[in-house]
This record gives sequence, C-alpha cells and structure tokens, in this order.
Amino acid sequence: MPSITFTQPDGTAQRLEVEQETTLMRAAVSNGIDGIVGECGGQAMCATCHVYIRPEYADALPELGADEDEMLDCTAAERTERSRLGCQISTGASLPEIIVDIPAGQV
Amino acid sequence: MSANTARCPMGHGTTELPEQAESRPTHVGGVQHSGAKEVPVVNWLQPAQLLADPYGSYARLRTEAPVAWVPMLNKFLVTSYAGCHEIEQDQSIFSANVSGSTMNRAIGAHPMLRKDDPEHATDRLAVNPVLRPKNIKEAWAEVFARNADIYLDELEDVGPDNADLNRDYAAPLAAKNLGDLVGLKDVDVQTVRTWSHDFIAGIGNVLDDPEIWRRCEASTEQADALINELIPHYQLHPNASMLSAWANSGLPDANIAANVKLSISGGMNEPQHMVTNIVWALSNHPDQREQVLADPTRWTAVFDEAVRWLSPIGMYPRETTVDTVLEGVRIPAGSGIAVVVAAANHDPAQFGENAADFDISRPKKSHLAFGAGVHLCAGHWAAKSAIGQIAVPKAYERFPGLRIEESRPGQWAGWVFRGLTSLPVTWN
Repeated sequence: MPSITFTQPDGTAQRLEVEQETTLMRAAVSNGIDGIVGECGGQAMCATCHVYIRPEYADALPELGADEDEMLDCTAAERTERSRLGCQISTGASLPEIIVDIPAGQV
Repeated sequence: MSANTARCPMGHGTTELPEQAESRPTHVGGVQHSGAKEVPVVNWLQPAQLLADPYGSYARLRTEAPVAWVPMLNKFLVTSYAGCHEIEQDQSIFSANVSGSTMNRAIGAHPMLRKDDPEHATDRLAVNPVLRPKNIKEAWAEVFARNADIYLDELEDVGPDNADLNRDYAAPLAAKNLGDLVGLKDVDVQTVRTWSHDFIAGIGNVLDDPEIWRRCEASTEQADALINELIPHYQLHPNASMLSAWANSGLPDANIAANVKLSISGGMNEPQHMVTNIVWALSNHPDQREQVLADPTRWTAVFDEAVRWLSPIGMYPRETTVDTVLEGVRIPAGSGIAVVVAAANHDPAQFGENAADFDISRPKKSHLAFGAGVHLCAGHWAAKSAIGQIAVPKAYERFPGLRIEESRPGQWAGWVFRGLTSLPVTWN
C-alpha cells in the first residue's frame, strides 16, 4: 500500500498506509492528523491543507496548477518552493510513498 | 508576519499566532457501532427562547446532549464542534440532498447546495474561479468599494439622529454587491432584496404557509425570466460575474438558473448581517474597537472573530443515508440532521473556556461559520473582501465615532438565520 508520512513542526512523524489515489489532505483529515484542516473539502478554494514536500519527492509530483498556485499565496504559514496543497497530490503508481512537513499554522 | 501575507489578496493580518494542537475527530464516518449510547431526547427547547437568544439553549445542548433527538423539529440536533465537523467530512453518510427540501421548493429547482458529489462538483467547480481571492481582488474589490461609498453617502444624508445601519447601509449595500457579483445587470436593488427575502422565507417555511409559497413562485418566475435572457447575453459578452461563468460552463440552463437563485438566496442576508454584527460587537467592546481603529490590519481578525461569535447561518440540514453513529449516538438511515454551526462555534472544546466571548486576539482556530467540506460557502472570499475589508472599514473611515445608539434599541431576529433587523447608530 502507498504510504504518507506527516511530520509535525515539533518533529514527531506519523506514517499512514493508504489506498491508491488518496489525496494527502483526505488521508490526514480521515486519520486525525493535527495541522491539516482541509476546510473546502479539496476544491482548491482554501489554503488549509498546506504542506511542505520533502525535496526528494518533488519530481514525482503533478505540476502546480493555476488554482493551486493562486491559493498557495493565501497560506497562513510562509509559502516556500516546497509548498503544495495536500488536496492536489494523490498517492499512486508514480508516488508510492511521500514524506511531508506540516506547517506551523493553517488558519 | 510571514512573507507571503503581502501576496494574498485577502491578507492574514499581522498576528500570526502559531496554531495550537487542533482537536480532531478520532475517526471519520460512523462505523464504530459498538458501545453506542441510547439516543438522548430533548423536549425542553423553547422556540421563543431560540428566537430571542439561542446561545443559552446551545450551551445546554452542547453540555447535556451534543447529539440529541428533538421531536419538535423532527431532527437530530448536533451542537458540538467535533460532531458538526465530522458530518461535513463524509457526504456519503451525511447527504446534503435532503428529503422534502424547502430550499428546492422555494426556488423551484435543485441547486448545488442540496446535491452531493459528483453532481454538486459539476455545478460548483464552474463558479469557483470567479470566487477565488485573485478574481475577487482584481475584478470586484473596486466595485465593492464604489458601492460602499454610494450607501455611505445615503447613510450620511439620513444623519446621526435617525440612521439605521441595517436599513440605510448594510441591506442596500449587500443587495447591490450581490446583484453585481452574480451578474444580474440592471436589476434594481429593491428587486434583488424582494427575491432574496422571498426565497429565504420559503427556505424557512417549515410551517407550510401558502402565502410564502405564492410569493416564492412569483419571484421564481421573475428571476427565471431574467436568467433566461442573461445566459445568451453572457455567452456573447462574458465578464467576471458568476452568471457569466455558469453561462459559459456548458451546464444545462436549469442548473444555471437553480444556482443563480441559490446565490440570490444565500448571498444577501449573511453579508448584510455581518456589517451590523461587526459594528454591534465593536460597540460593545470599546477596547477592541480602539485596537482595530489604531491598526487597520486587524480588520481581518475582526471579521473572522465576528463571524464565529455571531454566525449569520446558525443551522443547516443534512440527512443520513445509512445507519450510523455520531459522537457515540446511534442515528438511523433517513434521519434529518440539523448541523448547528452557531453552537459549534461556541464550543469550549474547540475554542477554549472563553469560547462565548468576542476576542479578536484569540488563537486562530478553524470555525464553521462558512460550513466546511465541499459545501464550504462559495462566497467566503467575497464576503471577507466586501464586508471585512471594505464595507465595515470604510464606514469607520467615514464616521470614526460610529457606534450603536443606545436610546434607539436594535432588534435581533431568528436562529436558523440570525441577525439584526434594525441597528440604530450614531457617530457624532
């Protein structure tokens, strides 16, 4: 099964095994991961599932969409070159595992 | 303040308090049937008390029975933050496509707010680009500011001895902004208000008053006639409005008309009430009023706290599709659910022991004033801009002494939808 590891700002990590084609946002919200809100349910209408992607997984990600790019300007924590919205990234054949860092705030 | 706050068209204010550990449901969906409690039945709710001030009843419900069967309403009332939040995480269990929807009858159609995905998403995704922060800032902020100036002039003409902030500013401004953003073109403000009031009365017409249904039918007929003219118009002359986006989306005309009428229903009273709610809250908290007038970057926090503290939409419906368990309470399939977000927004488990207080400096936490999940209010960025950053700050710029006039009391009304129907103000 694909796996997603969420690392909190204090360094604690939680690894989830998830179904194929599960978004990072849905996996986090369904499993009670602190620090991912997912307020709009995955429509790129908020910026509350902001994550920092570990660089070693950057090449496996889908391209940044225009809607996602716009919403990433509205994150509560600082946007960096590693910033993505968790609702726009799914596990799958090209992304069997990923490690992300959760920012200090989402709202 | 993080570097990117300058980039977001809506801003985040300057007080970037780190978020503390969020309370979260430990599971999503009601699959853990073992150990479920007997269903608590609540017969003590008084309609008159709810209408006068529902927050005392909400506090008692949250403490004694946060998921309760209320025979008077023929629904389960959910008043805890955790319960309301969990509902919005799974539309396959808690459907928005509720039986006997008064909304569908009021507007004579089936809008996206009463659909689940994927049908909901087809309607919703077409209009989301209009309502994201960038388009709101670039295409609409100037319009919202111009409209605010128009009605501030009218408020000034009425004068500080007679002004009613709802009647003379909030209500006509909200209708004007809505008509422009939806793209109703030349429809006058009074007509927008009439349609919106009729649809809202229909949505709340649980007692089946035939006169209310008659008015809904008349407004539906008028609105449909206009929408049928405007769809081909916007196909030839697209602009930044919601109707234009829908007209060019390839959706059937019936879907477009349903969602335009939904927008007319849901896009006026709430921004209107937020104008008066904020002035009421700041008038009653002069220290916080001073803070925001001294530091305008605090308006973002003022809006966010006011919409949590006095949520204009107090409750909305869902319906279970299967037998489930919510917060330990067994709920059969086909049950009506009342998601009481106004109660959830005062839940100490989410907002701390001072949850019932207005405090613009409280630690930032997610609230449910705009709902959550796929039905998160489509207009929430528009409201933050039009009201939180424009209408209210401009009113205080024009009248720095703006405050409620105690000698002419205001009037609160409603609990499903709650706001000030009158708010006398002065400024000298």
